[in-house]
Amino acid sequence: MDDAVDYVFEALFALSDLRVLLRETAPLHKFNEQQLSQAREALARAKNALEELDEELQK
Amino acid sequence: MKIAGNIPIREVEERYINIQPIQAAGRLTAEAMKALIVYGDGYSTCDQCRKPFRLDKITKPPIAEFHNDLARFLGMDEARVTPGARRAFQAVCLALVNKGDTVLVSALGHYTEFLAVENARATVREVPANEANIIMGDAVAQKIEEVTRENGHPPALVMLDHFDYSLANEHDIVGAAKAAHQYDVPLLYNGAYTVGIKPVNGKALGADFVVGSGHKSMASPAPSGVLATTSEYADTVFSTTQMIGDLTGRQFGVKEVQMLGCTLMGGNILAMMASFPTVKRRVKEWDEYVTKSNHVVDTLLGIKGNTCVSEYPRKHTLSKVDTTGSFDTVARTHKRRGFFFSDELKQRGIVGAFAGATRAWKFNTYGLSWDQTRYVADAFQEIAGKYGLL
Repeated sequence: MDDAVDYVFEALFALSDLRVLLRETAPLHKFNEQQLSQAREALARAKNALEELDEELQK
Repeated sequence: MKIAGNIPIREVEERYINIQPIQAAGRLTAEAMKALIVYGDGYSTCDQCRKPFRLDKITKPPIAEFHNDLARFLGMDEARVTPGARRAFQAVCLALVNKGDTVLVSALGHYTEFLAVENARATVREVPANEANIIMGDAVAQKIEEVTRENGHPPALVMLDHFDYSLANEHDIVGAAKAAHQYDVPLLYNGAYTVGIKPVNGKALGADFVVGSGHKSMASPAPSGVLATTSEYADTVFSTTQMIGDLTGRQFGVKEVQMLGCTLMGGNILAMMASFPTVKRRVKEWDEYVTKSNHVVDTLLGIKGNTCVSEYPRKHTLSKVDTTGSFDTVARTHKRRGFFFSDELKQRGIVGAFAGATRAWKFNTYGLSWDQTRYVADAFQEIAGKYGLL
């Protein structure tokens, strides 16, 4: 379970990046290409951390 | 969605463009949000606090280094973090001002400057603004002479806001500092509306103290702030305790009296530190933000009957406008009265204008992208068009 802590923070950090993107594009949240790519990257990081966390919890 | 059953989620910044006058530059960076997640626990800065047991000496996380960087960033010799700009005013007043002294503040000065002077059992005297609502150096000189004639000695301190909270007009700091120094009076530069958003070099401006607000202008949580000074005044304002317990003989060596020991001991300072790289970068973009501010103000001035109460063209992103001749004429007969205007803005995803206000009101465009800036300007125009004001 040692890595679980890292995955939790990693997911929270990725979601924080996504949160700021929502702020930067309020109120319409129409992402340009760069913002879309940043959002996808943040979401992928969050998903990956949560998957790793899930695996860690099953050990 | 609620926290602990009854605390609503605050989603103003995520769902809307927020043009609230004092909130704009205190919005957190992503890095500050992460720091709050990790360092939110009470005494989280203290895990590796070693001798001499003082916040600004902690090296892990690099708080000591941050203090040095802050001083350098402000063009001063020493800096401390404080719980807001007001606590920095208080620290300087308690260190320099004696009971019965006089302190000069601006006629557009913030109320917390008054309280800090009162806390030191001293009295404020206000320096008048000129007809353009600007505080000039010669007005400071004149007031110092007036106080000196009346009291037999000059004021103990001059406190002046670079940009005031009310109109965000730019005041003559350099002239005021020259005037104050001619009479050997130190000058406190109130940078609550500058430090963290525009470049500030305290020594170049002639300031003896530079005060900034973390939650107002440094993308930090409240309360947070900074007090920086020169080596000439550092020992006075950051004096260490001399007190000895009469029963126990206890002494607390390096603890600074005006700081009441350690100041920001948890997530606030770490969030401030986390935002600092962005803050250092964004001050270089100040002119661009002022251009955006003028774009919105120009659009408002394009609506018949509107005036800009603040100095114009704008030198700041916070502005006061008067729409008595436009939006207020609609409010007079609208069933929602003045609230029609904030309703219309909210429907378009814009909040922060004082609800119900359609005469003189303030807004701040700091931090908006060009897309958001144009969106706000267009919204004002659209509302004016809807009510036949164009």
